[in-house]
Amino acid sequence: MPEEFSVLGKSLPRNDALEKVTGQAKHVADIALPGMLYAKFLRSPHAHAKIVKIDTTRAEALSGVRGALTHMNVPKVHPKRKFEYLLDETVHYAGEEVAVVAAETKEIAEEALTLIEVKYEELPAVFDAEEAMKPGAPLVHPEYGTNLFHGTSEQPVPRCGSDGWLRLEDGDVDKGFAEADYILEGIYETPMQHNCSPMPRSVVCQWNGDKLTCWADTQNPMYAWQDLAKCLGKPQSSVRLIVDYPVGCYGGKEPEKIAVLVALLAKKTGRPVKAVFTREEDFIATHHRTNYKAYEKIGVKKDGTISAMSHRMITNAGRDCTRFWRVPACSAAHTCGHLYRWQNFKWEGCQVMTNIPDHNSFNGFGDSEAGFCVERLVDEAAEKIGMDPVEFRLKNCARPGDRAINMDTVMVGSATSHDRSLEAMKGPIEWGVFGTDYQLEECLRRAAEKAHWKEKWKGWHTPMEVNGAKRRGIGIAIGTHITAYRRYAATVKMNHDGTANVLSSATEMGQGCSTAMAQVVAEALGLHYDDVSIQFADTAATPAGFGNVGSGGTSSAITAAKYAADDARQQLFAIAAAMLRADSEDLASADRRIYVKGQSERGVSIAEVCFRAYQITGTAVNPPPETIVDEKTGKQIYDHAGAVTIAEVEVDTETGQLDVLRITTAHDCGRAINPIIVENQIDLSVTQGNGWVRSEEYIVDESTGVVINPNLLDYKIMTILDMPKHGDLYEIVVESPCAWGPFGAKGMSETAITTQAPAIANAIYNAIGVRVKGAHLTPEKILEALAK
Amino acid sequence: MDAIVPGGFMMVNEQVAVVLTVNGDRFELMVEADWILADVLREKLGLTGTKMMCGEGACGSCTVLIDGEPVPSCLTLAVECQGKDILTIEGLADPVTGELHPLQKAFVERSGMQCGVCTAGVILTAKALLDENSNPTEDEVREALAGNLCRCGNYKRITECVMVAAEMMRGGVRNA
Repeated sequence: MPEEFSVLGKSLPRNDALEKVTGQAKHVADIALPGMLYAKFLRSPHAHAKIVKIDTTRAEALSGVRGALTHMNVPKVHPKRKFEYLLDETVHYAGEEVAVVAAETKEIAEEALTLIEVKYEELPAVFDAEEAMKPGAPLVHPEYGTNLFHGTSEQPVPRCGSDGWLRLEDGDVDKGFAEADYILEGIYETPMQHNCSPMPRSVVCQWNGDKLTCWADTQNPMYAWQDLAKCLGKPQSSVRLIVDYPVGCYGGKEPEKIAVLVALLAKKTGRPVKAVFTREEDFIATHHRTNYKAYEKIGVKKDGTISAMSHRMITNAGRDCTRFWRVPACSAAHTCGHLYRWQNFKWEGCQVMTNIPDHNSFNGFGDSEAGFCVERLVDEAAEKIGMDPVEFRLKNCARPGDRAINMDTVMVGSATSHDRSLEAMKGPIEWGVFGTDYQLEECLRRAAEKAHWKEKWKGWHTPMEVNGAKRRGIGIAIGTHITAYRRYAATVKMNHDGTANVLSSATEMGQGCSTAMAQVVAEALGLHYDDVSIQFADTAATPAGFGNVGSGGTSSAITAAKYAADDARQQLFAIAAAMLRADSEDLASADRRIYVKGQSERGVSIAEVCFRAYQITGTAVNPPPETIVDEKTGKQIYDHAGAVTIAEVEVDTETGQLDVLRITTAHDCGRAINPIIVENQIDLSVTQGNGWVRSEEYIVDESTGVVINPNLLDYKIMTILDMPKHGDLYEIVVESPCAWGPFGAKGMSETAITTQAPAIANAIYNAIGVRVKGAHLTPEKILEALAK
Repeated sequence: MDAIVPGGFMMVNEQVAVVLTVNGDRFELMVEADWILADVLREKLGLTGTKMMCGEGACGSCTVLIDGEPVPSCLTLAVECQGKDILTIEGLADPVTGELHPLQKAFVERSGMQCGVCTAGVILTAKALLDENSNPTEDEVREALAGNLCRCGNYKRITECVMVAAEMMRGGVRNA
């Protein structure tokens, strides 16, 4: 790096580390208020049923019970969805809330649930996406008339046809396939995966007169707060949402209607109320990654050019359409749209509602699923023409200046509706470009070098090593995902002792956003790292921002903090200029001082300037994404990251046992604000990407729609022994500053999850000579593929 | 469980007297006979540094040391701990000087945590290992931590921090 930084680019200890190693970090589940009641939820055992009778009389008569809510006595509203109410007289999945009770203790609340009488009339239900698409299939929401979600007046998907399918086509796909020397086709599936946050959903609500304070564990504070106010019919100024230490959200953590129900119970009882889901409730009544099926086709020429690609996908959205179109939109725009330089491509997709629990975003959403399909067939295409898989990807992968779009181009999401009109969304796709930060090519070269690809690659379906029944193989995959750059606000409040507080509606859920933000603001102001204190989401104080979604923490939240720090610095310099009788243009700041450039002794402390000014407050809102343009072409630079994974595996052909021995993952990040945190974030995605296909199975019973393994004994996440040893797990951080982020840094982490599963699948093929095309890479599936 | 006085004040029966030593302090408590240790620590003593991830002994996050042994406090009844010496994460730093244990120092210096929910259980499990074996191999560290799930996938850094802490402890840094 040519620039000299004092705080940036250093692996400083996290600013939340001390609290976390001493047990002082307080999560929502740790909050205890005087007089607090405990809420428990009664859930439907049926996947689709009408509640013909519900009676809480006996439950409410139980000593210690202070209140109960059912669909009979709550408003008919919901934070976001068209078809779901806080509590509904129709339940749409097994596990949906039908009543909630507040009592003096958890035990009393649980006992009260057993005293609620409910009579259900079961309705026909459907659980499989392709079944749900057939004419005559049971309708999840009969009033909508179809199970294919294509938008509503409140949540339009303008490009989607009324038949529920969205189609994108570019170039001449028929011509592209006609020109191909070989055409490869495959049907692929990818599995569901539960977010499985370490801390189940938790909410505490307390009213003070007509004002509500809600502590919630979420990564989207602003939307949770706005939804809460809307459902309660209160002005946003009377509802305060505080988010301290939200826990590992991984894409899907929102309080949604739980916060509203707890607030209503607190109002009804006149007491603070707390709700903490059990692990089982978290599994059955929150969110998971959708399952996904793709019909994939690639045309390839003998010289290694991909001449055409088509991708037809179906995803099972469950009962929910809140996360409408995010998964298909990422699939269409990123992995299918611009991962490779295919000029002729056709994409078709639909999102189907069924009577299984809700889906939501999970790290790398859309691109993990599409990537696991596309990268398995791309590997076959390379094999067909006999080209090394690294060379094939180097030849075809997109580079800076190549065309790019993002998910927002395909769908209209709540976060973007401020920026784009619906009419504009109906027109043809306007391609933008990748910026120089997009370093997929460099990731490929450096990963191949670090993994010793040239020495280890022995040719197609040729093991690196054979020991009896055990065969070792190596495989590669590439991926791309959004690093959401969007509108975001921040405030930097200077204090009289020269320290700074940053106010931001971002969250620190483990990813290191708070630490990175402090480093950026300290660097921008010329302060020390520990002079900067971060105040995250407290809606009574922190300005607008969409939270931490789509790797947007660095790209959006910290970008806003940098602009706000720049604003504060300009104000500081204006006052210091008068004090120093200098021009503010000639000033610089470092080590808590402002001084005249080239005359470091001619300066003043930042504390003194702050005191003299009485109050300096920097504020900023990020410029809109469409203003980030390439100077040469005038086209919008899109906000993506690239990643590459090379995996080495050992497969026991007798038992199907799969050991992942070594993983090398390269990821571009613009600039690493804190390199050790960047590496940790890569490891997170590597581990979750391994778990997704190797061990985590979210099993919904095919005949009842009930989740049959809602616990951590039967839903297996990766343990330390499942992952490669310390010296066999490599993270390669590729730096090349981006056009939008703070000091050129951008969001990262999620892209690394998109490359794990296909790299492992491709390595399995090279070890055993058989391709696994199903959803999981478990011993059973490997044995099935070997036909044993 | 059923004796509730109008006005909200509640008298709970089926309580048992128990004496626990937690982080060096002796507590004489009346606890519900069926309460797990984790709930007593968190709700009666306010020691919320012990985190609950699964509630059924599958994740290791609620691990505390009972007489030096790592035990999931969600599978341990409080009444079973009569007279026992319990160490939670709040009691790991030096009680007088506040100086962090080498494991805590290593986890701070090398960012051995992300969301932090597994951290207390990981550090206490590692302490039990290092108290037995001051010079563990990487495989021994991995074996010891096989029951501690980290959903943030931070296993590599966790391994590194435990090895660094072991080295600090062997180097004569305060041995707790």
